[in-house]
Amino acid sequence: MSKVTVIIVTSLLFISGCSQSNHSGGAVESQQKTIEFMHLWPSGSSTTHYRVVEEIIEAFESENPGIVINAEPIDNEQYKDRMTVLSSANNLPDVGFTWAAGYLEPFVEGGRIAPLDQLLAEDLKDAFVPGTVEAFQMEGATYGLPLELNIAPIYFNKSLFIEAGVQVPSTYEEFLGVIQVLLEHNITPITVGNRDAWTGSLWYMYLADRYGGASALTQAINRTGSFTEQSFVEAAREIQNLVDQNAFVTGFNGLSNDEAKAEFLNGNAAMYLMGSWDLPEFTTNEANSQEFRDSIDYFKFPTVAGGAGDIESWVGGPGVGLYVAENSDVKDEALAFVKFFIEKWGEKAVTEVGVIPATKVDTEVLDIHEMYIKILKDLNQASHITLFADVQMSPAVAQIHLNLIQALFGQEVTPEQFALEHEEAFE
Amino acid sequence: MNEVLASRKAIIFYIIPALLLVVLFMYIPLILTGYYGLMEWNGMGEMIFTGLDHYRRLIGDPLFWDSAKHSLMLGLFSTLALVAYLIVSLILSQKMKGANLLRKIYLIPMLLSSVAIAQLWLRIYHPTNGIFNTFLIYLGVENPPTWLADPNLVLYALFVPIIWQYAGFYILIYYTALKNISVDVLEAASMDGANVWQTAWKIKVPMIMDIIKVTVILAVVGSLKYFDLIFVMTGGGPNGASEVLASYMYRTAFRSFDFGYGSALAFALLLVCLITTVVVRKITTLKGV
Amino acid sequence: MKVLCVIISVVRKSLLYIGLGTIAVFQIFPLMWLVLFSLKSNQEIFDLSPLSLPPEPRWDNYLRVWNEGNISQYFFNSVIYTGISVVLTILFASMVTFAITRMKWKLSGLVLGIFTVGMMIPLHSTLIPLFNMFLRAGMINHPITIILLYTTFNLPITILILFGFYQTLPRELEEAAIMDGASIHKLFLSIILPMTSPVIVTAAIINMIYNWNEFIFMNTFISSEEYRTLTVGIQNFIGQYTTDWGAIGATLVISMLPILILFFILSDRIMEGLTAGSIKG
Repeated sequence: MSKVTVIIVTSLLFISGCSQSNHSGGAVESQQKTIEFMHLWPSGSSTTHYRVVEEIIEAFESENPGIVINAEPIDNEQYKDRMTVLSSANNLPDVGFTWAAGYLEPFVEGGRIAPLDQLLAEDLKDAFVPGTVEAFQMEGATYGLPLELNIAPIYFNKSLFIEAGVQVPSTYEEFLGVIQVLLEHNITPITVGNRDAWTGSLWYMYLADRYGGASALTQAINRTGSFTEQSFVEAAREIQNLVDQNAFVTGFNGLSNDEAKAEFLNGNAAMYLMGSWDLPEFTTNEANSQEFRDSIDYFKFPTVAGGAGDIESWVGGPGVGLYVAENSDVKDEALAFVKFFIEKWGEKAVTEVGVIPATKVDTEVLDIHEMYIKILKDLNQASHITLFADVQMSPAVAQIHLNLIQALFGQEVTPEQFALEHEEAFE
Repeated sequence: MNEVLASRKAIIFYIIPALLLVVLFMYIPLILTGYYGLMEWNGMGEMIFTGLDHYRRLIGDPLFWDSAKHSLMLGLFSTLALVAYLIVSLILSQKMKGANLLRKIYLIPMLLSSVAIAQLWLRIYHPTNGIFNTFLIYLGVENPPTWLADPNLVLYALFVPIIWQYAGFYILIYYTALKNISVDVLEAASMDGANVWQTAWKIKVPMIMDIIKVTVILAVVGSLKYFDLIFVMTGGGPNGASEVLASYMYRTAFRSFDFGYGSALAFALLLVCLITTVVVRKITTLKGV
Repeated sequence: MKVLCVIISVVRKSLLYIGLGTIAVFQIFPLMWLVLFSLKSNQEIFDLSPLSLPPEPRWDNYLRVWNEGNISQYFFNSVIYTGISVVLTILFASMVTFAITRMKWKLSGLVLGIFTVGMMIPLHSTLIPLFNMFLRAGMINHPITIILLYTTFNLPITILILFGFYQTLPRELEEAAIMDGASIHKLFLSIILPMTSPVIVTAAIINMIYNWNEFIFMNTFISSEEYRTLTVGIQNFIGQYTTDWGAIGATLVISMLPILILFFILSDRIMEGLTAGSIKG
């Protein structure tokens, strides 16, 4: 009897001890305002991002005594789950990250997120690169303010190109030729981790863009166009053509993006189509040898002869943005924090973290790696930036799209079926 | 004596804690889930009553049937694996040196979290420098299979780590049960001239039959609700080739924001488990054990 | 003739050991691999074969994890949640199984059925209704919530494991005890519980493993750093675009050690219990 009782009693005491500390904490805090802030950059994996976030938080708190920020960093997959659960219980944190367009839609429709237009009208007027805020707008109001802007070039390994004796292709036909020569030299032409199907989606999107023109895809998604148009079928067919030619790394449908990237980083693959968020890997990340980093450059996705797309048209767009919860009880403070964060982030993003913010960047004053200068210049003269398909689409349709990409690459559907099933997905 | 053992007060006292917890935190949410399955709901907005629409959709949904098929296949393989576990446990339960150590070693995979196991097997199955394919290439095979990318192989490829993960668990259960068979019975058997095989199959196994039945149910039901490794290793892909019921439900609710249909799937999962258990029970009783 | 018999038996024995030994290698290989990759950098992990030794062991993975990962807090929390839940589960499960198998009442089959069916309830499908419940009760982000949930969700399987075992216990002891005037409670505590100690330890190990590595509930219901556990701690190292596998490896090794040690200690206890039991029996 005694042993069991002791255990139970001790446990209960312990549990009550826990609640006690909760209460005493609460009493002190009622004097100050607390902003609950959830973000995507845990210290373990995104060390520099995390550090800059902490600096910004500290700066804000010291300029605003009486406000405390409670930051909670969570990794990508869990973040999405957390958003889903919290929003269904209408318990979102005061400030958080969100993706644009399709992802954002359910939250706006559910009334979980507050409009941020007053910030745009006043303090942050003209701060953003044109086109970035639009992705976060719905029914005339702005529900998120972007923090990142990315475009996706084809990174390539100069040493491998030299070894095979090939030049950077400017047309798609030349590109196919490059692939052939690389194969003859036993070099994997392209690495892609299509288990994370958004990577394969980048390839498809560029082909769709080059064949059908910049607005084709966006129109198809927002239903003013159709997926069954010829250019989309051609793009799909071209993907399978590339697969037939062994252009892609072995087992791509079972490789994660990280695994695929490893093939590029260890010099096994010559080309890697990926977003500019990976720039640090090829510029500042000491974990990769200086020799390797010096051997990487990028080129724009080549144009197709007779296609409607031009070389300055990119796939990319705003990454995550900040939102404010509609039912936040510290809304004014939250809005102030958002404005502060965007400004400070804009100042530090390129130099300290190595990513491009969505706010305008003055390259003259910054001392940065030349690849950044090149990307920023390309960004400035971009004719069009098409937002990632799986972000534009609503989550349910995006899921179907990603499945179809895997099926397309895996030769399980015909290009015609691929196009047709996309149409059907929208019903 | 019967009075003592039938005391109402005592009975209630002994069953209340467990019963209360399970009803409150498992059954009631389950009923709510079934209820949500009758609604069109994205988790945030209003719930719109749609009656049995979702359930009707389910019946016509090829993805549902594919996932169900995959889950059942996993259940079948897990049950077959039980035979192997039983044999190993029978061997271990003899008086042999090192049985103790071996048993502990076998349990190690279960101590690892699914993240660790997923990562390990992802590396093993890597198309070019994973252990299997490196070995195959060494043997001269030109294009070794891409285990996780090939829709025909991926499901089987996933079975291996799952079965490996649970080996120690079932071996532990069987071993404990076997060790608990009274020594007298065994001595009597050997004195009657029974050899090792006969003792094992005619005496030990029947004596732990109840436990075996329990493990069959555990294996089948566990497989039906299995989620972890599949979700982390392939995400149900490529294109649904390795999707199981639990991952399909999860993705529908949490990623596509379709809680109505997701809940219907969750409820259907429960029904599948129930039906399977009844069937399994019937089969094991028919066998005459 | 005798020599032949001896040879055959030696060969058989060696085959047996080889077979069992191979299985053991197969099972222990991940541990080795885990330790190896916890000492490598991201690049090395992907490039080199899984079994290769790290070029230089990166002990800084461990340091980083300890400093930046807030590991000590997570560790403590893991211990508390696991410990308390396991005790409660075993206690409540024993009580119910005792009532079902030993006591005489009509609805025992029904109650057993309730728990058997309970085992089929997949966690994820109860997540949202549960979250709503606890939210209304103001108990989100509270340790008690986790303990209640862990205790509850382990009950069906524990009861099932105990049930099979309880069936095999002889009734004579109870009869004797009751005739000696023992109350139900005394019967339960002084006789049944000790007699079932082997299976209790087995169930405890199984519960511990589940609770220690549990993830979904922890992720959904707990948001503050101070209440998190090791399993969620691993997630700190999985980033938006990249993942620090070396650090994950280090965290996994750290989180695995206590369970491993505890397991080795406890399973010796099983042996003690068993041998004591068989002498008596």
